Amino acid sequence: MDSEPGDFVVGALMAIFGLIGLFLAARAADGEMYVFGLGLVAFAALFILGLIKRRYDRIDAARALVRVRHDV
Amino acid sequence: MSDAVMHGGVAESVLGPAPIYNDAVVKKFVIASIFWAIVAFLVGVWIATELTWPAANLGLSWINFGRLRPVHTSAAIFAFGGSALFGTSFFVVQRTCRARLWGGEALANFVFWGYQFFIVMAALSYVMGFSQSKEYAEPEWHIDLWLTVVWVCYLLIYVGTLIKRQEPHIYVANWFYLAFIVTVAMLHIVNNMALPISLYAAKSYSVYSGVQDALVQWWYGHNAVGFFLTAGFLGMMYYFIPKAAGRPVYSYRLSIVHFWTLIFLYIWAGPHHLHWTALPDWTQTLGMAFSIMLWMPSWGGMINGIMTLSGAWDKLRTDPGLRFSVTAVGFYGMSTFEGPVMSVRDVNALSHYTDWTIGHVHSGALGWVAFIVFGALYYLVPVLWHRQRLYSTKLVAWHYWIATLGIVLYIVSMWVAGIMQGLMWRAYDQYGFLQYSFVESVVAVHPFYVIRLLGGVFFLSGALIMVYNFYRTITSPTTEAPQAMRPAPIAAPAGAFGVAGE
Amino acid sequence: MIKHQFFEKNAVFLLVGTLLTVAIGGIVEIVPLFTIETTVEHVQGMRPYTPLEMAGRDIYVREGCYLCHSQQIRALRDEVERYGHYSIAAESMYDHPFQWGSKRIGPDLARVGGKYSNDWQYAHLKNPQELVPESLMPHYAFLADTPLRLDDIQERMRTLRAVGVPYSDEDIAQASADIAAQANPTADTADLLKRYPKAVEVSAENGQPSEMDALVAYLQMLGTLVNFADTNTERLQQ
Repeated sequence: MDSEPGDFVVGALMAIFGLIGLFLAARAADGEMYVFGLGLVAFAALFILGLIKRRYDRIDAARALVRVRHDV
Repeated sequence: MSDAVMHGGVAESVLGPAPIYNDAVVKKFVIASIFWAIVAFLVGVWIATELTWPAANLGLSWINFGRLRPVHTSAAIFAFGGSALFGTSFFVVQRTCRARLWGGEALANFVFWGYQFFIVMAALSYVMGFSQSKEYAEPEWHIDLWLTVVWVCYLLIYVGTLIKRQEPHIYVANWFYLAFIVTVAMLHIVNNMALPISLYAAKSYSVYSGVQDALVQWWYGHNAVGFFLTAGFLGMMYYFIPKAAGRPVYSYRLSIVHFWTLIFLYIWAGPHHLHWTALPDWTQTLGMAFSIMLWMPSWGGMINGIMTLSGAWDKLRTDPGLRFSVTAVGFYGMSTFEGPVMSVRDVNALSHYTDWTIGHVHSGALGWVAFIVFGALYYLVPVLWHRQRLYSTKLVAWHYWIATLGIVLYIVSMWVAGIMQGLMWRAYDQYGFLQYSFVESVVAVHPFYVIRLLGGVFFLSGALIMVYNFYRTITSPTTEAPQAMRPAPIAAPAGAFGVAGE
Repeated sequence: MIKHQFFEKNAVFLLVGTLLTVAIGGIVEIVPLFTIETTVEHVQGMRPYTPLEMAGRDIYVREGCYLCHSQQIRALRDEVERYGHYSIAAESMYDHPFQWGSKRIGPDLARVGGKYSNDWQYAHLKNPQELVPESLMPHYAFLADTPLRLDDIQERMRTLRAVGVPYSDEDIAQASADIAAQANPTADTADLLKRYPKAVEVSAENGQPSEMDALVAYLQMLGTLVNFADTNTERLQQ
């Protein structure tokens, strides 16, 4: 199980938040909304990167486990 | 209990060394909680300085008292307390249900990072000059919406885990955590109803006005205390005190009665924040009556927590972490007696608007909330990082005494200052005129503000000792527990009711 | 107590049971405040804030003034003598949100309007310790250097109208003119005062209204609207 269904749901949620963040930052009427919008974009982007990284970490861990068993 | 241990053992042998619980997210929340504790205490010390010597405001808009005060309260309640609640609730619910968190790793991580994002954005918005001006609900509408999303995910994870549990019963700690999650959701949504001036502007106006807004706010505000700062932390008490003491919860019946009466009565108590104001008298009286009734379930909880130690009192000598938890329950008992007293209209006439309220809040926040968290953290850190014990129990004792001294300085100085203000404001001279101008009361309490500041510095110093102790616990290889000594992921107190000396 | 298993063995029942239990108190206390006619008294004189006062009030909210200053004189003898007639619900009927406060590090401001001159207010906000050496108040000189943001005033008024403040179309259309008139001591304020009686003129030192002008306009009208000589305790009965 290298990816969980939750990864895709949360990933999709992040994509939506990232888009909302872009709109908020682009059309912001004040400094606060601008910062919040950009923050949301950064949050979503970093979170999706984290999801991808964790997926590869899991694959690597599974491979390592197979190798160990093979050696034994 | 032995039953649970056996099951835990079986689970581990079947699944191999792979962790059956999601402890990674618990660790993150523990670290966040410790970090925000220092931030909250530091900002608290800073604004106490501003109140003592106003030159400390430095004439800079973003660090003025008015903008930093919500940073302090949000950091203490939501960042420090909230992270501790999320972390411990995830720890407790997995163990007492013998089930991994529902929803997978990604959702749990989203709750962690989403909540931290909420805290940072809220603090940033205050210093930038955006606030709804509702105490403990200062974040503007867009941040409120974000928190709602995170909170719903939290609720889903929590209820999902409860539903897929392997234990027949839902353990009492989970009732309190669940009540905390559900009620805070209700309070947050209702109190923050606001209309933004545009979809792209942070400024909004509350849909309520004047007297209705006042009551909605204090219905929220008092129950932020009741459910965020009480129910959630009672959940913590119901797990960590029995665990640390190695004893079952004192009384199962008491916990049932205490739970339902507490959550029913608390909600009514809000109007005591508005005595003698333009709020209709009937509402004030209702609020006062329920506040006084609330004393009973509160003390029921205290008794249940403290009496859990019966037969294990000696552990207070050997386990300073447990000492924190038990002292916390003691402070809980004190604050929940002081609260009903202050909710009496005639006492409130004196105490309201004064520093007595500030002292009361801090005996709860420092004595109860922070201490119960410290107790839980001292238990959790070695368990989560697989260490046999803490780096130093002596340092825990130092933390304990320095922090306790800090609390005593804080609350005593605020009692004196508050009662002095209340008496000076209502003092008449022999000719029937008001005896003191307002500013004379400001001058009179100055020495006590200095003592309060000192108390805050003590409390902060104690917390820094804790941080050092945790740092050494986690990094020093010498304290690492051998694999076999690893605390088995058991559901200890869950089944404990059966054994529970009823 | 056996029945408690009903909740203890089913997470959904526990959740719903908890939610129902905590909903009752709030419903009983809050809903009647919206339905009982006398909760907000019927008195003469209440009007929405002028655009400048409203902007000033938003600054008051933004700076967290409510954290040190209450705006709620309780019905207690010493408070009434110190600050004036006790506050009534009608006086904050247009306050979104309310600013009653919970702590007095400084004095109550519910009736501060007109107690001091404009000059005193300006000087005090810039450097409180110059006028009251023992004061704990921070300096707000930066407000005088910050031009008041005017481009979203009408949006603010429209939003307030949507939540129940009775601004007319004319009030909103005239917002800029009203601000210009109130922030200029030599301007003709007949039209402004017709729609907003008792509005206090302030002086825009730099030619254009600053945030401090707005704040002073707000402070100077606080608690002045209701004429208590006109009313009686019977009418104030809730």
